[in-house]
Amino acid sequence: MKLNQLIYRNTKKNLKHYYLYIFALVFSVGLYFAFVTLQYDPALNETKGTIKGAAAIKAGSVLLVGIVSVFLLYANNLFIKRRSKEIGLFQLVGMTKGMIFRILSVENLFLYVGSLILGVLLGFSMSRLLMIILFKVTGVEDVATLHFSQQALFQTLVVFSVIYVLILIMNYIFIRRQSILSLFRVASVTQQRVQKMTPFQAIIGIFGIALILFGYYLSSKMFSSTFLGSQLYMVMITILASVILGTYLFYKGSVSFIFNLIRKQKGGYLNVKDVLSLSSIMFRMKSNSFLLTVITALSALAISLLSLSYISYYSAEKSAKENIPHDFSIPNAKHAEQFTNALAEEGIDYTETYIDLVRVNTDLSDILSMPEDSEFGFQASNTDMIVISDQAVPELHVEEAEVFFVNQQDFTKKLLNFQESGQVGFSNAETVYDLTFKGFKDVSILSSRLSYAFPVAVVNQKIFEKMKAEQDPALKSEFPEYVGINIVDKKEIEKADSIFNELELNIWAGYESRYEASISQKQNMGLIMFIVGFLGLAFLVTSGCILYFKQMDESEDEKANYTILRKLGFTQADLIKGIQRKQLFNFGIPLIVGLCHSYFAVKSGWFFFGTELATPTVIVMLIYTGLYSIFGILSVLNYKRIIKDAL
Amino acid sequence: MVILEATKIHKTYGNKFNKQEVLRALDLQVHKGEFVSIMGASGSGKTTLLNVLSSIDRVSQGTITIEGQNFNQMKEKQLAEFRKHHLGFIFQDYNLLDTLTVKENILLPLSIKKVSKKLANDKFRAVAQDLGILEIENKYPNEISGGQKQRTSAARAFIHDPSIIFADEPTGALDSKAASDLLNKLSDLNAKRNTSIVMVTHDPVAASFSERVIFIKDGQVYTQLNKGEQNRSDFFNDIIKTQGVLGGVKHEA
Repeated sequence: MKLNQLIYRNTKKNLKHYYLYIFALVFSVGLYFAFVTLQYDPALNETKGTIKGAAAIKAGSVLLVGIVSVFLLYANNLFIKRRSKEIGLFQLVGMTKGMIFRILSVENLFLYVGSLILGVLLGFSMSRLLMIILFKVTGVEDVATLHFSQQALFQTLVVFSVIYVLILIMNYIFIRRQSILSLFRVASVTQQRVQKMTPFQAIIGIFGIALILFGYYLSSKMFSSTFLGSQLYMVMITILASVILGTYLFYKGSVSFIFNLIRKQKGGYLNVKDVLSLSSIMFRMKSNSFLLTVITALSALAISLLSLSYISYYSAEKSAKENIPHDFSIPNAKHAEQFTNALAEEGIDYTETYIDLVRVNTDLSDILSMPEDSEFGFQASNTDMIVISDQAVPELHVEEAEVFFVNQQDFTKKLLNFQESGQVGFSNAETVYDLTFKGFKDVSILSSRLSYAFPVAVVNQKIFEKMKAEQDPALKSEFPEYVGINIVDKKEIEKADSIFNELELNIWAGYESRYEASISQKQNMGLIMFIVGFLGLAFLVTSGCILYFKQMDESEDEKANYTILRKLGFTQADLIKGIQRKQLFNFGIPLIVGLCHSYFAVKSGWFFFGTELATPTVIVMLIYTGLYSIFGILSVLNYKRIIKDAL
Repeated sequence: MVILEATKIHKTYGNKFNKQEVLRALDLQVHKGEFVSIMGASGSGKTTLLNVLSSIDRVSQGTITIEGQNFNQMKEKQLAEFRKHHLGFIFQDYNLLDTLTVKENILLPLSIKKVSKKLANDKFRAVAQDLGILEIENKYPNEISGGQKQRTSAARAFIHDPSIIFADEPTGALDSKAASDLLNKLSDLNAKRNTSIVMVTHDPVAASFSERVIFIKDGQVYTQLNKGEQNRSDFFNDIIKTQGVLGGVKHEA
């Protein structure tokens, strides 16, 4: 049949033209298939069992489907617009819209099937590589044997069939809406309408910046005990909404407005660099503001997630040390003895720290102001604290009327606003001790499991003995004593840890091995980091590709301009210089805004994740910027080609 | 004084199996301050001739010199440099940049010449005044009429005082009033600034505004007409007659 031949020829011809669309397809399929293969791989079952990775992976795959479908729909939208002339021609020679739709659908099907096969192959080899990386990161020692999972294949097929149907619907609507005339004209319709700047736009722009700043301000206040409980949730939503809306308005108004000011200043006397960068961006930024907002949000999300998980991974050891101040923590003298005997038998040298604990009713209302919140269930005036003797803290000497606090953790420091000085009241059935608070001493004495991550009070030995004697039986602590054991030779920790496990000390609450805690945090964070990293990469590539496609489209639109400029006598080098500046803005502005957003996001809550902010965040941002720049460079190369062909 | 001289130029397109010779040993001279039209039927090689004369395209054989400089010996970059300083262009479809205002479009050729802002402004006012587009200086191309667009394009061609201006069917997209308006302005400026103009057209009315008309047929100069002392309508009749002989199609005069 004639139609079949036409379809066949069209597909063959378009293969060459739409290599980018095909790349987008293959890439998406590969990415998704790799991810799903990991999800179904039996080798990962152990990992899933031990550290509950399954849910995380599942959530990731849902997110991935979202990104992939937005990406593909966008790519398809761009490419069908480019073919509007051809579609118009078919209509002109008397083909019905239904027939054209059929041609496009079958053509798309060919592209789709081909890309699916390629993508699955690519994804399979990619997932092998990812598996090796995953095991390396999480420290799970396993040989990366991968099976071709039929389940994964099936899921991939289902997802992409659904996307295919979506694309068909979009094409159908596109063809349906166009008349022959408008199909011929579509290329020029999509070009921006040149509009005058209005004061309204300036107001929108300023309002956008104000919204972003307001969001930043809220985020810096979020965890500083100004907001609590249910309020916190509202605050988060407000921050998100105001920053995203602000970003949108920023692109809609501010960028054009600022560029317009610069342009006004030049008094009509623009050089070729300004022509290619300023004036072009100024008009497109506005019509692209939605897209740019999405890209910025994606980048910000990816960078923040990556930074946070890298912070946890990076500071795993440090936070383990903060949480568990000794190599082994055993809140029971008898069990500790059992353990130390075993250590001695094996010839492992150790040091032992014994600390007596007592739990006392405490009134902190003078040094800690908290908004009253029934949900929070915490009242500064009526709480209790663990008290230890100053003899347990060699760094401290405490007078009888004084009290120091120790064991302060990073996130309690942010959450609870203690005053510099004041009075602290301890009371039990018989006596009330009104002690002068002398501040915090930055040492970690007890494991946070024992102190419930709350500061620990240090008092004079005499006071402590009195408190111990008068201990309120109702407040009798779960853990009356604490034994911290340090291994002298750090090389023997692994051995000591296996003894700890053999004695089955690890099964009780509060019995902790720092070595294990650090490893398990690394494993936990390793898996999360891997998934987040994977998603971050997907975000990155997707947003990079969308920008690149957009620029490709723009370069085709502006080709006529380059022809004019070259006829006027501007050299290719002149034009390329202008383009480089334009791309610096086009890629740079969303990147910088995204980096700013993620910086404030990370800063507002990083202390929940680890102990180090600067290094991991900077590393993540640098890597992200580097990868992102690749797309910018690619787009400049594309422009170079277009400019060369322009004359 | 001869400003542009083309000797024995050839231009062929296609490969060795399917060669098409568009220009065949064509000779041409343009004097300083002259307004020359090039006419010919479709496919006679008018636009190709204009392209090679204006250095946008290269000849296959022969030499072209403008102000004594030979194009053949120049590299791509030097050619661009030459165009920037010595040539001006007016095109049928205006070729204005949509994203720039009228003033910005016109000032574009000056931006590369390191002209001071004040001098640039003065030059702009002078040329915009002459072409009657001063009041639309802050408008964008999509806000003005075709005639205004073409006058903007003309202003851009004149502003940097080129030695020669090439116009490719400048009236092709204009209605007759706008066209004669533009041509009047062009010949005024031609006289006032002593800038040579080479205009390709197929419209005898447009051609009658020039001083000399060169007819091209099959890639060679067929004949030339000089306006001399006659008035425009007599010259127009001459052109019509020659065109009739040339194309074999009688024009209703």
